[in-house]
Amino acid sequence: MSASYLLKRLGLICYTLIIVSLLVFGITQVLPADAAVMMLGENATPEALSALRAQMGLNDPIWMQYLHWIGGVLRGDFGTSLRTGQPVGPTLLSALGTSLQLTVLTLLFMLMLAIPMGIVAAVRRGRIADLAVSLVSYIGVSLPEFVTATIAVLLVADWWQLLPPVGYVPFSEDPAEWLRHLVLPVVVVSFILIAHVSRMVRSELVDVLQTDYIRAARLKGLRPRRVLIRHGLRNALLPTITIVALDVGYLLGGVIVVEEIFSIPGIGRSLMSAVQSRDLPVIQAGVLIMAATYSIANFAADLLYAWLDKRIQYD
Amino acid sequence: MPLNRRAFLSSTVALAALAGTLPSLARAATPEAGGTLRVALDQAVSVLHPQLSRVNPEYLAAELLYSSLTRLTRDMQAEPDLASDWTSNDALTEWTFTLRSGVTFHDGAPCTAEDVVASFTAILDPDMASPGRNNVGPIETVEAIDPHTVKFTLSTAYADLPVALAYNNARIIPASVATGDYASLRGMANGTGPFRLVSYEPDRLVVVEKNPDYYDPARPHLDRVELRVFPDLGAQVSALLAGDIDMIATVDANDYMRLDGQDGIDLLRAASGQFCNVNFGTDIAPFDDPRVRQALALTVDRGTMVDFMTEGFGTKGNDTPLNASYPYFKPVEQREKDIAKAKALLTEAGFPNGLEAELIASDRPAIRGKLAVALREMAKEAGITINVTTMPHATYLEQVWKKGAFYIGFYNMQPTPDGIFKLLFTSDAAWNETRWNNPDFDALVDKARAVTDPATRTDLYTQAQALMNADVPALIPAFFDVLGAKRTWLRDYDIHPRASLYRLDHAWLTAEAPTRAG
Repeated sequence: MSASYLLKRLGLICYTLIIVSLLVFGITQVLPADAAVMMLGENATPEALSALRAQMGLNDPIWMQYLHWIGGVLRGDFGTSLRTGQPVGPTLLSALGTSLQLTVLTLLFMLMLAIPMGIVAAVRRGRIADLAVSLVSYIGVSLPEFVTATIAVLLVADWWQLLPPVGYVPFSEDPAEWLRHLVLPVVVVSFILIAHVSRMVRSELVDVLQTDYIRAARLKGLRPRRVLIRHGLRNALLPTITIVALDVGYLLGGVIVVEEIFSIPGIGRSLMSAVQSRDLPVIQAGVLIMAATYSIANFAADLLYAWLDKRIQYD
Repeated sequence: MPLNRRAFLSSTVALAALAGTLPSLARAATPEAGGTLRVALDQAVSVLHPQLSRVNPEYLAAELLYSSLTRLTRDMQAEPDLASDWTSNDALTEWTFTLRSGVTFHDGAPCTAEDVVASFTAILDPDMASPGRNNVGPIETVEAIDPHTVKFTLSTAYADLPVALAYNNARIIPASVATGDYASLRGMANGTGPFRLVSYEPDRLVVVEKNPDYYDPARPHLDRVELRVFPDLGAQVSALLAGDIDMIATVDANDYMRLDGQDGIDLLRAASGQFCNVNFGTDIAPFDDPRVRQALALTVDRGTMVDFMTEGFGTKGNDTPLNASYPYFKPVEQREKDIAKAKALLTEAGFPNGLEAELIASDRPAIRGKLAVALREMAKEAGITINVTTMPHATYLEQVWKKGAFYIGFYNMQPTPDGIFKLLFTSDAAWNETRWNNPDFDALVDKARAVTDPATRTDLYTQAQALMNADVPALIPAFFDVLGAKRTWLRDYDIHPRASLYRLDHAWLTAEAPTRAG
C-alpha cells in the first residue's frame, strides 16, 4: 500500500466531510424554526430576539455563517447548544464515547456468535443446523429493534427480573452495573447484526470450500479442521470485514431507537433530542461527527483488508 | 429534657402539621429520614435556571433547588415559603411581604429583600426573556423596605398576587447573579431550596442532596434525589416495576392502565384543568362568524370525546377553560350535541351545503392529533368536511400558533381563573391565540381581579364563562386528569393538579425502599 494511496484516501474523507458539512448546514437553514426563538422561548420580546439574532450572527449572509461555523469546527469549537447553553463539543464527544462502548461490546458479542454460526451452517449445509441458523437469521433481519427490545425487556427485565430494564451507569461509577445495564441493549442490537454477518460468513465459506485450492488441500491429506480454518476461513472472512465496517457505521447512527428505548445517553439519542428541539448546533455537529466516524471505520476496514490479504494492492 | 431551638422548632412544626392534616397522618405515620429517591422524567432537564425553565422536568429541578416567596397547595391556595406572611392595602394595589429571617443561599450568603427585588427585576425585564414575565401579576415596582420586608406596587388591583408569586419561574436567585452573569445559572445552582446540587448532566441525570441549612429544620426527609431521564415512556414503566425508580412524574393513560393492580405500585390521579382546545381565528373567515363556531361546537359529543381522548381519565368540557378544579368555579349550562341546530346555524351563516376547512395539529403531545381526528368524524354529520394536517411541533410554533385560522392547542392548568383567562382569552392576553376581543369579557375579568370576596368573584367568573360559552372563541371539549405512579414505599407524595408542582420536600421513603449507594 503506497503512501500516495493513503493520502488520497484521507483526502477523500476530508472531501466527504466538507460535502456533509455543506449539506447539513444547508438543511438546518431551511428547517422551519428560528434559532433565536428556540433559545429564548415564545415569550421573548421582539427586541430581545433581534438582539440575540445579531449576537448569534443570524443576520449575516448564509455563506458567512457557514464559514464562521466551519472555522469554529476546525478549531475544535462546535458552538453552544441552544437548549442547554453548554458547549456542544464536549457533550457530543462524551455521548459518542457511550455509543462506542455499546458498539464495541456489540461487535465482540456479535462476532463471537455470528462467525461460529456461519461456519456451522456452511459445513453442515442443507442439514438441520444450517436450517436453524437460517431461521434465526431470517427472524433477526425481519424484526425491527423496537420489537426485539420490547420483547427482551418484557421477558428478561419485567418477568424474570434478571437484569435492569433500562438506564445507563457510567463505567467509572460502577463497572458491574455498567455491564449489567448494557447486556440487554447489546443483545438486541446484536440480533440483527448476527443475522447479517452469519449469512455472509456462510455464503462466503460455502463458495471457498468449493474452490480448487481447498480440494487440493484436502487431497494433500491435511486435517479437515486445518483446511477449514487455515485455508477456508481466512479467505471467507475477508469480505466479512467490509460488512462489519458498514455495521460500525450502522451501530453509530442506527441505534438511535435502541438508545432511546434503553435510555442510553449516546450520540444517537443526543441527535434525536436535538432534532426534536431544533437545537441546530447540536444537529450540525452530531451529523458531522457521525459522518467522520463512519468514514474512518470504512477506511480502517480497507486497511485491515489489505493487511490480511497481501494480494490486494491499493494504488 | 433541655429544649434547644431546633427541637422546639421541629416540635412546633410537627404540631402544626398534626393540626392541619390529621386524617392523612393516620395513614402516613411519622416520616423516616434518609434514603435516595429516584424520579423518572420523560424529558431532559435542559436548564437549571429557575427563571428560565419551561417544561415540567425543569420546574421540578428548580423546585428542589430554589424557593419562592409563596407556594401553591393542592387546592390552589398560597402558603408561606420564603415569605412568612403578607398584607395588602384595601385597593389591592400594594402588597407587603415579610421574609423569614436567617435564610441562606447554598453558598452560605444570606437571602434578603435585596435578592427578592433583584430576582423580580430580572423576571420582569423583557431582555431576560423569563417565561414567567406574564404570569407573576401586574407588578409595576418591587422595593426593599428593610432587609426582611419587600413591597410590590401593582399597575392594577390584583387579589391573586400571593398565588401568582408561587408561579414556577418566580423563584429567588442571588442578587449578584440576577444583576450579573444571569445565564450562569443555566448549568449550576445557588438557591435557598431544600436540596443542593450535586451533579448535572442535562440529558441523563440530575443529583441533589439534602440542604442541611434549609430554613425548615424538619424537612426535607430525603438525603438525596436523583432525576433520571427516560425518553421512552415504556422504559419508565419497566424501571418502576423493577423497583429501579420510585416514581414517574406523569404517565399516560395506557401506561396507567398497565400499572393498575401491580404489586408495590400506587397509582396517582388528580382531576385537573388541563385541556386541549380547538382554536378559531376569530378574525379569519369563515370562523369570524360566531354561528360557524357554535355550529362546530354543537357537533361534539363530549362524553365520547372524554372516552376517546383520555380513555375515560377526564371530564367534559364546555368551551371555557374553567372546570371544577379551579377555585371560584360554578358551571354554566352544559352544551350538548345537536346536529339539527348546528345545520340550522350553518345555513344562517350562509353555508347551507356545509363547509370545508383545514384543521392543523402539532405532533406533540399526540393527543392533539387525536382530538383533530375525533372532531373530523363528529363534524361530518353536520356537513362539515375537516381535513386534518399534523406537523412537527417546532414547525407548528413557527407557522401556526397564534396565527392560524383553525388549529389545536394544549394547556396546563393555571392556578386561578384569572391566570388562564389572562393567558389566553382577554384582548390583551399574552397568548391570545384566537384574537378574540370581547370588551365585556375583559371588563368582567378585570373586575374580578380587584375583589377578594369569593362569592363575588365566583359570580363574575361565571358571567365571563357564559360569554365565552356563547361566543366560542375556542372549542374545549374535554379536560384531562393528570396521572402518575409511585412505589408504595414512597410516602407523602401525591400528584398536583397543576402537574408542574411536586413538593418532594415532604416526601419520604419507608424501610422497604431499596438502599442505594450515595
